[in-house]
Amino acid sequence: MGIRPTELVDSTPDEPDEPDEPKVTSQDVAGRSPTKIALDRLRSDRIAMACLGIVVLFVLIAIFAPLLTRLFGVELDAGDPVTDTKFDSFPAIGPPDSGFTWAAPFGLEPGTGNDLLAEWFYGARTSLGVATFSTVVATMLGIVIGLVAGFSRGWMDKAISFVIDVFLSLPFILVALSMAPIIVSRFGNQPDRLQFVQLGALLFVLSVFGWMTLARLIRGEVLSLREREFVDAARVIGVPTRSILFKELLPNLIAPIVVSISLGLPAFVTAEAGLAYLGIGAVGIPSWGQTVNAAVGYFNTYPLFLYAPVVGICLLVIALNLLGDAVRDAFDPKTRR
Amino acid sequence: MRLNKPAVALATATLMTLAACGGGTSTGKDPGNPATGKIEGGAAGSGKDPEAAAPAAIPDGAQEGGTLTVTTVNVPSTLDPTQAYYTDSTAILSDLVTRSLTQYTYRDGEMVLIPDMATDLGRPNEDNTEWTFTLRDGLKYEDGADVKAEDVAYAIKRSFAIEELPDGPTYQTTFFLDGDKYKGPFQDKGEYAGVVVDGNDITIKMRRPFTDMDYYASFPAFTAIPEAKDDPATYGKHPLATGPYKFADYKPGSSLTLVKNENWDPDTDPGRIQMVDGWQFKFGQDSAKLENVIINDTGSAQTSLTYDNISASGYRAISDDADRLVTGTSPCTYMWYLDMTKITDLKVRQAIGYAYPYRAAWKAGGEIEGVTRVPGTSILPPGTAGRKDYDPLGIGGVDTDAAKAKELLAEAGEENYEIKFFFASDDALSVAAKDQIVKGLEAGGFKATPIASTLETIRTDRTDYDADINVRSSGWCSDWPSGGSWFPAQWAAELVGLEGMPNPANFKEADMTAEQDRILDELTPEEATVAWGEFDETMQTKYYPAVVTGYSGSALIHGSKVGGMENDNVRGMPTFAQMFITG
Repeated sequence: MGIRPTELVDSTPDEPDEPDEPKVTSQDVAGRSPTKIALDRLRSDRIAMACLGIVVLFVLIAIFAPLLTRLFGVELDAGDPVTDTKFDSFPAIGPPDSGFTWAAPFGLEPGTGNDLLAEWFYGARTSLGVATFSTVVATMLGIVIGLVAGFSRGWMDKAISFVIDVFLSLPFILVALSMAPIIVSRFGNQPDRLQFVQLGALLFVLSVFGWMTLARLIRGEVLSLREREFVDAARVIGVPTRSILFKELLPNLIAPIVVSISLGLPAFVTAEAGLAYLGIGAVGIPSWGQTVNAAVGYFNTYPLFLYAPVVGICLLVIALNLLGDAVRDAFDPKTRR
Repeated sequence: MRLNKPAVALATATLMTLAACGGGTSTGKDPGNPATGKIEGGAAGSGKDPEAAAPAAIPDGAQEGGTLTVTTVNVPSTLDPTQAYYTDSTAILSDLVTRSLTQYTYRDGEMVLIPDMATDLGRPNEDNTEWTFTLRDGLKYEDGADVKAEDVAYAIKRSFAIEELPDGPTYQTTFFLDGDKYKGPFQDKGEYAGVVVDGNDITIKMRRPFTDMDYYASFPAFTAIPEAKDDPATYGKHPLATGPYKFADYKPGSSLTLVKNENWDPDTDPGRIQMVDGWQFKFGQDSAKLENVIINDTGSAQTSLTYDNISASGYRAISDDADRLVTGTSPCTYMWYLDMTKITDLKVRQAIGYAYPYRAAWKAGGEIEGVTRVPGTSILPPGTAGRKDYDPLGIGGVDTDAAKAKELLAEAGEENYEIKFFFASDDALSVAAKDQIVKGLEAGGFKATPIASTLETIRTDRTDYDADINVRSSGWCSDWPSGGSWFPAQWAAELVGLEGMPNPANFKEADMTAEQDRILDELTPEEATVAWGEFDETMQTKYYPAVVTGYSGSALIHGSKVGGMENDNVRGMPTFAQMFITG
């Protein structure tokens, strides 16, 4: 389960903005930027729009999780095993023994009696929150490191490329697995901090292992862009390097970055769930991965327990992936339709 | 006896997933509600039959041939007979591979102590300071060599080599002659005066009266080990078989294959049968997977079984097929040991007992009340001879009373008293139980500080005297059904400070120590039995050093072609010695 957000086709950068050639025809031609063209293409893609709708829905669920739980009259971690579960730990109300009930639309967790709908809402929040944060950090890291590596020649480029190779060669799962017990033994006696440290460690691991591919991609793009005339021109008129990087080069890299983000998000959602399943991640914070882990044993006797988080993860990841593909197609100038 | 794996996060959470502590009567019927699901306490092997005749009867429906597969999440740390002290390693060795002086056999829901390599259950002298066992004729090792009385004497001497062979039972150091001085045959090359061999007779001499020697002689440590073939470092990889099966292949940590031992003679053994061709043990398996495989009962799963307790989910799945579920009580008690050196006020200790959320913690930890966890208040579990049923807090071991806890804390002037305990942060059940315990303690006016550990390290963390905790969650199982295998083993003042923290509550009170010495040295066996029950009540009423969080019950499952599987209520294990495959 690596985080390789991007698998871009080798797209050539869009032509930099250049003054329009004088038009010979008298036809009205609206000046459209490549980004606008891409967005228009995206807008006409029905699948992409449907997926966008689903993603927006999940985002709203994540943002309004506390409101939604109140709306449904459920509460997080409010289960009382003594009253909410039967003697063999199965829920006293709702599935699997009784039918659907509005008191617990997704049922109760066996053993603890916690409400699963509330867990699911907050799980969406954890999933999207972790994925968004990691994507943003990993993208930032990737952009900056890629730009610097591509633009600087000589030892700097070599050093950065070496670091990228080192990070690519580190086994991600192994590092994540070995960090968990270290953190527990280090912060185990500070229960208040442990939760935050664990969440922080999760974000750290995901971010630190998520930037390399983008950095490499950007470095490659910059290598070819920096030889272009507009960069030379900027240099000649004395534009500082930082401005060249961020004002001249970065706008030309929007397409690969957007694609990388759109494909990175679902990868991080999957990674978060996968790590939670392996017992890494923030213990005590609701998470789809942890619910799946707890529910595996109930596959036969209480399938709804397992299905709810699995459906959540699948829907979100599929929607994000299809949306990501559509974004890539839209931003790829080679795609013709 | 130790639970299979003492890696206990919270007694509630991890114990039952890791340890199988089984029980006696096999009801296995109607898991519908707690009232009928509750099982009467077994007698935990209190019966004896010195006259049991060999060979053992072949059960009806038993067929010859086939291989029984045992899958488990547990991993026995050693299979050296001297070191075997966990419920699973003793059961595997004693029931199948290495014979001892005495053994247990299953009869009508009870485990009965019968002779094994000895002709009877031992003959004590008048004051129980000398026990004589006579070895049967015709006993052979797997290589065909004769078993000699000297080999048994050597095995007994070997059990004193605690440094070379740690973790085994240690009653010999307390009771046997020179037990406190003799360091085993590897360090003390000279003779050991405590064991005398005369022909087929083995006489064990004591330094204080030891009334339970016949029970103790059933441990694998009292087998026969030929001195010439012993290397303490490697003997556990292939202990010489005297029983019906021998080691064919042992991969420590993953698997053990046993095949028929042709040199075992059924006419010398009143307890074991040799119907299947072999046994295949698979250790360290995924618990959810192995449970589902056995429940689904197809192909080779029909001849599979496990000695792990079933999960709540699996219990429901198997309840349609209840004759494949073996349930019963077992002689294990789970406790929250309150550190007497840290929680010095009796009222605070009692308040913990009132605040502990018994039912909530059991359920969240995956226990089924009345099946895998039986409520109770005495330290001695049901079935122990001389056990007194008392209730120091008056809540029956289940009815949490937060108001009473608050009241006691206020009386003691210790509001918001901080309770620190370990849990395994990588085990979902442990975390869920911890959440309930925190809720319960806080409702009772305590400040709860759960300290994170991991499944792998919690056992060593917990037995560390310097650990910053004041409560330790663990348990104890009977070695034999009398208080003599409980209080001297966990509640003796001389154990405080020893490696491995054998006295988890750091319990050291002069009057209780004096009482223990009096019971051990001055009373007759019958008096002692009763006195231990009184001791239990006095200690818990006067000092309350432990919150009893229930007795273990067991719920074990097997495939449809496995026959003869009952609960060995001495160990909480399947009765391997009498199992077979049905047609």
